[in-house]
Amino acid sequence: MSMTATRMLARDWRGGELGVLVAALVLAVAVVSGISAFTTRLQTALAQESHRFLAADRVVRSGREAPADWLQEASRRDLGTAQVLTFPSMVYAGEEGMVLASVKAVSDAYPLRGELRYSEQPFGDLITGGRGPEPGTVWLDSRLFPLLDIAIGDTVAVGEAEFRVVAAARTEPDQGGSFLGLGPRVLMHYADIAATAVVQPGSRVEYRQLYAGEPAAVESFERWLQPQLGEGQRLLDVNEGQPGLGEALQRAESFLLLAGSLGVVLAGVAIALAARRFSERHNDYVAIMKSLGATSGSITRLYGRSLFLLGLLATLLGCSLGWALQSAFFNLFGDQLPVAPGPAGIRPYGIGAATALVCLLCFAWPPLRRLSQASPLRVLRRDMPQEQRRTLTDYAVGLAAVSSLMWWYSGDWKITLAVLSGLAATVLLGLGLALTLLRGGRLVGMSAGSIWRLALAGLQRRGTANALQVVIFAMAIMLLLVLLLVRTSLIDAWQTQLPENTPNHFALNIAPEDVQGVEQLLRSGDIPGAPLYPMIRGRILSVNGVALPQTDDPEEGRRQREANFTWADTLPGDNRLLEGRWWAPRSDAAEVSLEVEFAERFGVGLGDRIGFQVGSEPFEATVTSIRELDWQSFNPNFWLVFPPRLLAPYPATFMTSFYLQPEQKPFLNGFIRQFPTVTVVEMDVVVAQVRGIVSQVSAAVELVLAVIMAAGALVLVAGVQASVDARMHESSILRALGARRRLVLGGLWIEFAALGVFAGVLATVGAELSVYILQAQVMGMDYAPSPWVWPVGIGGGALLIAGLGVFSCRKVVSSPPLAVLREL
Amino acid sequence: MIKAENLQKRVPMAGSELEILKGITLEIKSGESVAIIGASGSGKSTLLGLLAGLDEASAGRVVINGTDISALDEDERALFRGQHVGFVFQSFQLLPALTALENVMLPLELQGQGKALTLAQTFLERVGLGERIQHYPRQMSGGEQQRVAIARAFANTPSILFADEPTGNLDTATGSHIIDLLFELNREQNTTLVLVTHDLGLAERCQHRFRLEAGALVDGD
Repeated sequence: MSMTATRMLARDWRGGELGVLVAALVLAVAVVSGISAFTTRLQTALAQESHRFLAADRVVRSGREAPADWLQEASRRDLGTAQVLTFPSMVYAGEEGMVLASVKAVSDAYPLRGELRYSEQPFGDLITGGRGPEPGTVWLDSRLFPLLDIAIGDTVAVGEAEFRVVAAARTEPDQGGSFLGLGPRVLMHYADIAATAVVQPGSRVEYRQLYAGEPAAVESFERWLQPQLGEGQRLLDVNEGQPGLGEALQRAESFLLLAGSLGVVLAGVAIALAARRFSERHNDYVAIMKSLGATSGSITRLYGRSLFLLGLLATLLGCSLGWALQSAFFNLFGDQLPVAPGPAGIRPYGIGAATALVCLLCFAWPPLRRLSQASPLRVLRRDMPQEQRRTLTDYAVGLAAVSSLMWWYSGDWKITLAVLSGLAATVLLGLGLALTLLRGGRLVGMSAGSIWRLALAGLQRRGTANALQVVIFAMAIMLLLVLLLVRTSLIDAWQTQLPENTPNHFALNIAPEDVQGVEQLLRSGDIPGAPLYPMIRGRILSVNGVALPQTDDPEEGRRQREANFTWADTLPGDNRLLEGRWWAPRSDAAEVSLEVEFAERFGVGLGDRIGFQVGSEPFEATVTSIRELDWQSFNPNFWLVFPPRLLAPYPATFMTSFYLQPEQKPFLNGFIRQFPTVTVVEMDVVVAQVRGIVSQVSAAVELVLAVIMAAGALVLVAGVQASVDARMHESSILRALGARRRLVLGGLWIEFAALGVFAGVLATVGAELSVYILQAQVMGMDYAPSPWVWPVGIGGGALLIAGLGVFSCRKVVSSPPLAVLREL
Repeated sequence: MIKAENLQKRVPMAGSELEILKGITLEIKSGESVAIIGASGSGKSTLLGLLAGLDEASAGRVVINGTDISALDEDERALFRGQHVGFVFQSFQLLPALTALENVMLPLELQGQGKALTLAQTFLERVGLGERIQHYPRQMSGGEQQRVAIARAFANTPSILFADEPTGNLDTATGSHIIDLLFELNREQNTTLVLVTHDLGLAERCQHRFRLEAGALVDGD
């Protein structure tokens, strides 16, 4: 019977009966494999990018030199290794020149990932690649040349050693956004450290051991290394790369996974609907075959084989489409990515094929399997009721399939639960409400004109079927609205997070007497900047009179430690008060306001007393408020804020952040010359990178949204088709009785539009509910109601469904009624 | 030989039961042609369905060529139908997905008949459709479709042919050609023919007639 299986498929394809089924399957596979390949490639790219930020795959950071054995063990495992030491030190040149610099000593192999940039002259053309300075030589930050009044080829001194300056150091891959070791860079060779005699026990230094290699080797080395880490030694991996980028990308990934899951649900519903209609239409065929001697076994095999062929075809088409989608994206936007996208491998396509298999087995197979039970008596009596009752098992299987696919695919039970509970609420509320609304509609229609009476009577006659249809429409519209809402607030959040003039430079160590001058210079250069914040370096000693432990372990949250304090009369702009109250203006009470995570780490809350020390003077303050900060704002942020008068007696420096356009970069030269003691940190490269990646991820989000929209449209088409036969039948009887085109079409318009309105109302309620849960629980965003979604959901639903419905039934007014009736 | 013994068919209605066939007993000998006649709703088609093993009786039994088909399950009955029974229906019941040739080959393939293609071609030529074997049902007239159905029914060389209002959807002239063809093939292959009709003229051409009224056999000659 294999000939008949392919024949049957071919003919069904030509007759348009397989269109929705195949399209839904292809789309499910395409969405799953495409999104999966996309995120895989993006993740590989970003992992490389993060590795670049570490200059290695793994790094051990410590205050004392880590054992050399570790480097040997890493080499034994074929990993590349390098060593880095960073420390602050004065740099001297000639008689007068003297600047506090951040010295970085690197071994030969540095950097293991990413590239060094330098130039032959200060501020000159960038040269990328190669190794750091040879022993006996140094590279200096461009800014140091005017400050020290030297040129390439001159000599500078660090500690007791002298070095020849051979290049201007521009950027290192791992200079990152860390404030540790601020100051203009001096890059030297690791072997020269001893000669400087600067590094003594107790010096403020940071050692790093860098390792890089094949992922498997790196991971096995990591497993070996973990248990050996001692106090004050910390293993860094890619996640330390860029916290600012991390959250945006994590949300984007959540969104893509959510979209993928919704795509699978939508496609699953479309497949189930299409398969049901397919099997209804095949009841008669099965009866004929049975009358000719086909057993139920052979019927099952025939349809099983057909389904297998369909699945194979859809998987191939879907995987190709998924591949095309993601590669089109990378072709369009790939060159804007900071690094080349990695390979996707075959796993995404495996996931696609598995999705096709699950969809077919759980959504399409149940109605087709029951075809074999069709009675052969149908050949004599076509009016026999169809044995197509959906059993509870079918629904349970479908639900289980949807849930496990979503869970497997998103790997996030929170997303799965949020979407499932939204769907469940829509379905349950929807069925009840739809039935009530449809009954109400009938009562109103009684007193209306004939088109309306016809339409509303039609709605009510198929009450249960219509209620089911409303729920299916509502589900599809709801999922689309959810995606639209989440995507809109996601992109809004990104844009507000990194507005056009996000500060991309920080100025630190501004002396009190320079504050006015700095402000003036910024103003005269028309440079937008944040206010100047005072900054006092202090130490946290005790909580409620009990001294905190003294340890160097950075992992230990509750310990004595140094921190930057600031003061403010009013709550800083992008801070949010979570608990307590802000102090009165001009207060001189001993109060302090804490950042929420800092408070959690120290285990302190409102009313607790914290002991501090600035210089040699200890003092105590009571916690009176807890704040939340926007860490992604690139504005200066502080854990600890005090009332101004409390910190007034202590020596402070000031800091600020400002925004420079690329062409305004020379402003820095004048700035540094005028305020040589001020440290300027250039974050513009990082900010530009973050913005670039965010805009690409936004484009990806839009693309995925469009694909999911197509899946939603398919569900609508499948849902409309499910009732087309019955509606065509009635309409052609009306036509036969002499009803005019206008009456028939008008009736259909109203009938479908009414379904669309009911579905739109349900969908909008469900969507707002789901979005609330999703944003609050999954994406960690603030929920804000979106009033525009109501007219879009309801109006769009009505128009879309009425349009689709009337389009699907258009034959009824263009063909003779008998021809239509005969075909049904 | 077909033997029906006290065949009854009841269907549950709201609260009660509707008796469609009230204990039919009849016997049809091999090679005979028989018409079952009666008004609409008299139970003709139900009786045909039971005799052909398309349906299950509420009581009584049907024995065909010594096999009690009432004791078989649906799959066994399907195999039995494939080996012994052919059908011609009022609404032709061709599979729209298949060409005329494939429609005729279908029962042969279901039987695992190796020469399905040649046999089907022969029978289509026999019914005068040799030129149209690659056409689909929708490309054919009603009469042509019914001829394909007849070719399909005889291709399997069944011992019994059941025909349910075979001319019901055809005009008089076409209908009479179809009937001629049906009887011709019947004679050639020595098939037992059981025909359901309300056309008395058609019934007259059969050797025996059974008349049904309200589910009971009232007359038989």
